[in-house]
Amino acid sequence: MHAGIIFFLVILGSVLFHIFTPWYWTDVASNWGGMDDTITLTFWVGGGVFIAVCLFMIYCVFKFSYKEDRKAEYKPEDKKLERILTWATTLGVAALLAPGLIIWNQFISVPKNAIEIDVMAWQWGWQYRLPGEDGKLGTTQVVNINDNNPFGINIDDPYGKDDVMIQSDVINLENNRPVKILLRSVDVLHNWYVPQFRAKMDAVPGIVTYYWFEPNKTGKYEVLCAEYCGVGHYAMRGGVIVQDDQDYDNWLQDQETFSDLIAKQKILETSKTKLAKK
Amino acid sequence: MSEEFNDNKTIQAQSSESISGGGSGAANDIDYVRPAEVGEQDLYHGHSFISKWVFCQDAKVIGVQYFLLATFTGIIGLILSWLMRLQLGFPELAGFMTAEHYYQFVTMHGMIMVVYFLTALFLGGFGNFLIPLMVGARDMVFPYLNMVSFWMFFIAVGVLLASFFVPGGPTGSGWTLYPPQAILEGTPGSGWGIMLMCISLILFVAGFTMGGLNYLITVLQARTRGMTLMRMPLTVWGIFTATVLAMLAFPALLVGALMMSLDNLLGTSFFMPTILKAGEVLEYGGGSPILFQHLFWFFGHPEVYIVALPAFGIVSDLISVHSRKNIFGYRMMVWAIVGIGALSFFVWAHHMYVSGMNPWFGFFFATTTLIIAVPTAMKVYNWILTLWRGNIRLNTVMLWCLGFIVTFVNGGITGIFLGNVTVDVPLSDTYFVIAHFHMVMGIAPLMVIMGAVYHWFPLVAGRMLDEGLGKWHFWITFLGAYSIYFPMHYLGFIGVPRRYFEMYDSPYMTSAVGMNEFISIAAFIVGAAQFILFYNIIKTLKVGKPSGHNPWKACSLEWLTPSVPPEHGNWGDKLPIVHRWAYDYSVPGAKEDFITQITPPSEVANTEVEKT
Amino acid sequence: MSDPKIEGYVFKPGFKGMADDTGSDQTMFKGVHWGKAMMWIFLLSDTFIFSCFLISYMKGRGSTIIDWPNPSEVFGLHVFGVDVPLLLIAIMTFVLITSSGTMALAVKYGYEKNRKMCGWLILATAIGGLTFVGMQAFEWSKLIHEGVRPWENPFGAPQFGSFFFMITGFHGTHVSIGVIFLFIYAYKTFKGHYDEGKRGWFTTMKGDYVEIEILGLYWHFVDLVWVFIFAFFYLW
Repeated sequence: MHAGIIFFLVILGSVLFHIFTPWYWTDVASNWGGMDDTITLTFWVGGGVFIAVCLFMIYCVFKFSYKEDRKAEYKPEDKKLERILTWATTLGVAALLAPGLIIWNQFISVPKNAIEIDVMAWQWGWQYRLPGEDGKLGTTQVVNINDNNPFGINIDDPYGKDDVMIQSDVINLENNRPVKILLRSVDVLHNWYVPQFRAKMDAVPGIVTYYWFEPNKTGKYEVLCAEYCGVGHYAMRGGVIVQDDQDYDNWLQDQETFSDLIAKQKILETSKTKLAKK
Repeated sequence: MSEEFNDNKTIQAQSSESISGGGSGAANDIDYVRPAEVGEQDLYHGHSFISKWVFCQDAKVIGVQYFLLATFTGIIGLILSWLMRLQLGFPELAGFMTAEHYYQFVTMHGMIMVVYFLTALFLGGFGNFLIPLMVGARDMVFPYLNMVSFWMFFIAVGVLLASFFVPGGPTGSGWTLYPPQAILEGTPGSGWGIMLMCISLILFVAGFTMGGLNYLITVLQARTRGMTLMRMPLTVWGIFTATVLAMLAFPALLVGALMMSLDNLLGTSFFMPTILKAGEVLEYGGGSPILFQHLFWFFGHPEVYIVALPAFGIVSDLISVHSRKNIFGYRMMVWAIVGIGALSFFVWAHHMYVSGMNPWFGFFFATTTLIIAVPTAMKVYNWILTLWRGNIRLNTVMLWCLGFIVTFVNGGITGIFLGNVTVDVPLSDTYFVIAHFHMVMGIAPLMVIMGAVYHWFPLVAGRMLDEGLGKWHFWITFLGAYSIYFPMHYLGFIGVPRRYFEMYDSPYMTSAVGMNEFISIAAFIVGAAQFILFYNIIKTLKVGKPSGHNPWKACSLEWLTPSVPPEHGNWGDKLPIVHRWAYDYSVPGAKEDFITQITPPSEVANTEVEKT
Repeated sequence: MSDPKIEGYVFKPGFKGMADDTGSDQTMFKGVHWGKAMMWIFLLSDTFIFSCFLISYMKGRGSTIIDWPNPSEVFGLHVFGVDVPLLLIAIMTFVLITSSGTMALAVKYGYEKNRKMCGWLILATAIGGLTFVGMQAFEWSKLIHEGVRPWENPFGAPQFGSFFFMITGFHGTHVSIGVIFLFIYAYKTFKGHYDEGKRGWFTTMKGDYVEIEILGLYWHFVDLVWVFIFAFFYLW
């Protein structure tokens, strides 16, 4: 008997823990509130099934525990009951799946007005690149990367000249403006993940992966690496600052473009050669 | 050499055994089972200690050998988990641990527990011990191959553990061994460690293939007279289906491990794109890291069911025996096992929703994954409907089964979260995943293993394990394990990523510190509680109560051997003849509350047997 | 093929009959030797290995950044002053397929208990296999001589060398293991082990001519895999 009571307390404890837990998700700060809704839906349906199954089991333990003089029921199959249960489960599962697929469809269809951001990952840090006034990112290659060209932009590519380069692990985003995160990595797998935005995707060396979101709360957020990438994985953090358009524009003004960098490089080199001549 | 074989005359006796021997003519008719198709098996009987207990060809001994070696590696895995929990809960006490150590322990813990502990234990351990007994065979069909299988496993474990002592230590690339990091500097054990891991896995696969062929052919071609497929206990169905999965899934692991070894040793670029390390471009290029992930998970997802299906089968039998009631919906249970097995080959990429593969795959794999939930849910319903109107013995074995139902349903439902592609996006790579898979394929199968140990120990040793100690063992393990993994889901909701050596002071992660301390303490206690079982076993071997024949009053064949524990050859002079399924408990009209599989129908002619 | 005769068991035709056989007691495949059933399942598993290799190859070839070399040039042979594409490989394939034929004949004579014929045909098969391995070694050395390595390839994508050496190497290992067993089996046949029912080294089972058929299954499988490798590497 005591076994049934303890099992019941476990179930009760689980429910109470859920009600009173101080550990729960942070407020969503992007358009992916739908993800939270599907989680909540799954939580209530799943949690309900869990509690129902466990309570039924506990009831059986109380009601049918061993008695010498009783014989169990002999009933190998009950086709009708099994059919009802199969269909009910199928319907329940379909009801959970449908919203999931709908939101996934939104997740993989990037809106046209999304601003593209090149997120480049390496062991262990991040840096970012924004398209310049032409609205297009220049093409890149890993072999081009060096001190003078930290993003490996193809020098011949005209789109690359005005790209804004942010050599810092913190990036600013404009509030209520969809962004398409283009992820690439120069060495191993990484994952650019901001818990408040809910979305995440691996950065895979050799290919460019993407996902999109629309930040809708200004503030400062921490970026975590969510795909194991070697010993520094846990320390690979970054930051996002979501700002209103005014502040964002001011910030953008101060950033350096690729052509700025090339020009600076040239000045440096000529002064070097001048120094050498002297 | 020939005197080592029993060139016995029973071959004659078996095949020419006619209908005679019964009582009246009518009884003869219903007791008729057609003569044997397959001749008697020649068995090699060892004489020396070495051929009897070390290089032994008896499947029961091989099963115990598998069991012991898997348990040994499991204890190493347990100790590694303690060290990880020490770092996570009490970093100030774990000053000796660097991030390198931590990641090496994570990797080895994962690989050991999934492959070298659970797979070896369920298929190698329970498979070898139970299959021949349950289908009424004298032994596995290829005893020599079976022995080699165990010793290959032994070498594989040796190679795996050797990696602790090579330069650089064992690999620290996570149990998924994802390239490129697995073989690049910056990951511990990227030279020797990953090499030994790949070699060990290849050896394991080779050894397992030998064992797996044995299990399959024994089930398919060596059953005793009257044992049809639909009379087999669900344990055999579970192990059989799991073995089929393993035979078809391990090739992908083998190929992945081989290609990664070549990338590492010869500098090929199967999985290696152009890589910039420390300012220099490495001599790799053009490979695809995601290809490895596909190969790995094509193995990895069936692997989950390789562990789960034997557990499903075994727990069905335990619940049925100890509720004195047939398993509800036997045919549904069989088809659910087979269906889950088949579907498990079409869901692998649900581990890769955020891996950067083509996002359109998400629709397909989310759908297939959620379809699997239906047969799985049917199994759960049938377990609890077996309890319904049963006559439940609340002994240790039943407690483990009930614990299994609670943890499995819990872990199964969180699986619906992770399988549903949208819900997976925020939760993947967080503690939610850790909690989910430990609950569903760590704790739940472990509950079944423990239940099975308490259930079948009398058959191995002829003595009953102590019930009192068993109950302590159960409650500490169940309550402890539940309180480790249930709260851990909530860390995942917060967004705490997995595989973090340290949390630093991220605002939402500092709140996790208290939880981590609590989880660590629970983990220490649960781990330590397992030693109650070892104490119980040692005590029982010395002073345990003799079990006698069929202590649980079970119907299935393994309890019906002429001697307990069964000898080499299992059945004495004559193979058993099976007349019904393995679940005729509490049949109305029968004298006792069970009718064994070998009771001739003429003896129970007056009962209302519905299914045979 | 006629159904095996099993005392007390009636074979029924059609799908229903197949289902009955499958679910009946004792054996699922009526009258099939344990070793033969084992070989079929092993080959099914091996099929998955080769499928994984070939699918990886397709993926690797599809996603590489440098162009794939032209097979008819790389595998061409310069004989008597003319460039003949795929000459060597045509001979190799012919030899291997022929050896499959001799193997099938060996199985036939084995079941007819024609010890001599069976032994010679197994030997012929083994020599065919050996010739194949020898020609493969020649092709490897030719490619290595031209600078192709697992990690580099002067003709194009380095993955060409990687996949070529790995997959043909894996297949060649299969052939070599088969050749070793063919020689052992030829020896055993000539010695009459299968007539006497002598116990083998690794197995407690008594020798029987069915073992030749089991080895034959393996050999045909290795040939079949070669056809796929041939198509994927040389004709694509």
